[in-house]
Amino acid sequence: MKITRSMVAALVLLLVSSMAMAEEKRWVSSDGTTLKAEASATSENVADVLVGTEVTLVESGGRWLKVRTSAGKEGWVYAGRVSDTPPAAEVAGDDGGVFGGTMQKSQISTAKADSARSIRGLSPEATQYAKDQGTPEVYKKSLDVVLARKVSDKELKSFLQAGKIGEYAQVNGGVK
Amino acid sequence: MRNLLLFVLLALSVSATSASAGFFDKIQKFADPESKERKIFSGATQVLSSSKEIDYPTERIIGESLALEGLQRFGNPVKNESLQKYVNLVGNAVAVNSKRATIPYQFAVLDSPVQNAFAVPGGIIFVSRALVSILDDESELAAVLAHEVGHVSAKHALKSTQRAQFFEGVGTITAASVRGDKGKKFASAIGDMQTVLFDKGLDKDMEFEADQAAMETNYRTGYDPAAMIRVLEKLQKVEASSKDKKGSWFSTHPPLAERITRLQAQLQKYPGYSSLASVHDRFAKNVRLK
Repeated sequence: MKITRSMVAALVLLLVSSMAMAEEKRWVSSDGTTLKAEASATSENVADVLVGTEVTLVESGGRWLKVRTSAGKEGWVYAGRVSDTPPAAEVAGDDGGVFGGTMQKSQISTAKADSARSIRGLSPEATQYAKDQGTPEVYKKSLDVVLARKVSDKELKSFLQAGKIGEYAQVNGGVK
Repeated sequence: MRNLLLFVLLALSVSATSASAGFFDKIQKFADPESKERKIFSGATQVLSSSKEIDYPTERIIGESLALEGLQRFGNPVKNESLQKYVNLVGNAVAVNSKRATIPYQFAVLDSPVQNAFAVPGGIIFVSRALVSILDDESELAAVLAHEVGHVSAKHALKSTQRAQFFEGVGTITAASVRGDKGKKFASAIGDMQTVLFDKGLDKDMEFEADQAAMETNYRTGYDPAAMIRVLEKLQKVEASSKDKKGSWFSTHPPLAERITRLQAQLQKYPGYSSLASVHDRFAKNVRLK
């Protein structure tokens, strides 16, 4: 069989289109993830992305990956913040609903779980349990204090930066 | 022409794979196919059984009730606000990179002389003063906390008792569900979970899973994953010189030697891990329990 130029062209077209279909996907797996303009934690923010967001891998640069969201936003993300499998959808909220693995549903459930972050102190139900069990007041108060402690995203970022941890690590001599 | 065709194919295949050669992707290349299948399998079963799953507010109530019992058993938190804040920062640093990153986590150091740490459903995690005092840097503390976060992520405590099934299908627990006859059932289920968490210990495989999760989470965060092994080696020394092992991390967990062996095998998955952060100085400044 004689191979013609048009056959090669058709083959190339087929391969390119199948490649496009096989684009590598990643899923945002860490809370508080932001896409950056450059492969550096101190560079400009492009977009905040929720856990469960599906992104397409554009370029890999060691510990940083360039990715694109379905909305077309491109930016760099620290590789530890994404995984190559979708995170398990959180079952949260007051309806006890079940969410599947789709991006949209996963994001809804994530938002619901986020609202749970506003939890402050012992719940009325656990307070009732403590009353029924005769739990000494001192332990109830202690747990109340424990539950009221909160770490903000800003505090966490400063903490990682001061400790030169993860995306704030000095690249020279670091892992590529 | 045939050469041209071969060239085109080769060029395309090279360009298709080059983008994937990332730092963390290497983990996948070394990934044990068996464990990967297990993950896929557990993911599938989770979806299938999720209609019966306990919702988060209910899980949280169970956790708070168990936390009240844990405090009574192991002691109140150490009265040192800066230490408690520091432990919460390290804990949250790893929790946001765990497999369950979107729920709130709270951490506390309890004034207990026994080396122990435990997690209750919903994300409340306690670590004893005695366990923190044998650690030498932040990556080791991160590993202990990430191990406990691993238990919360995988809902190990909830899966450990038959009675926990009482909560399934109940929907959201309300104050009414913890009163009267229902309240008795609730208290009884909490009692069963206490026995598992504080006396019998979780299933051996759950501990191995949490150890592996700790290593993975430390690595993703940017802490040295080998810190988990160092913690277990320290506990081995404590175990050798300890008469009373009751209630400690090594009495309720599988043999330390076996855990260490398994983790050493897993360490191969993390190329260049030794250059990741250990953070000794900040730890020494914040933790003065020795």
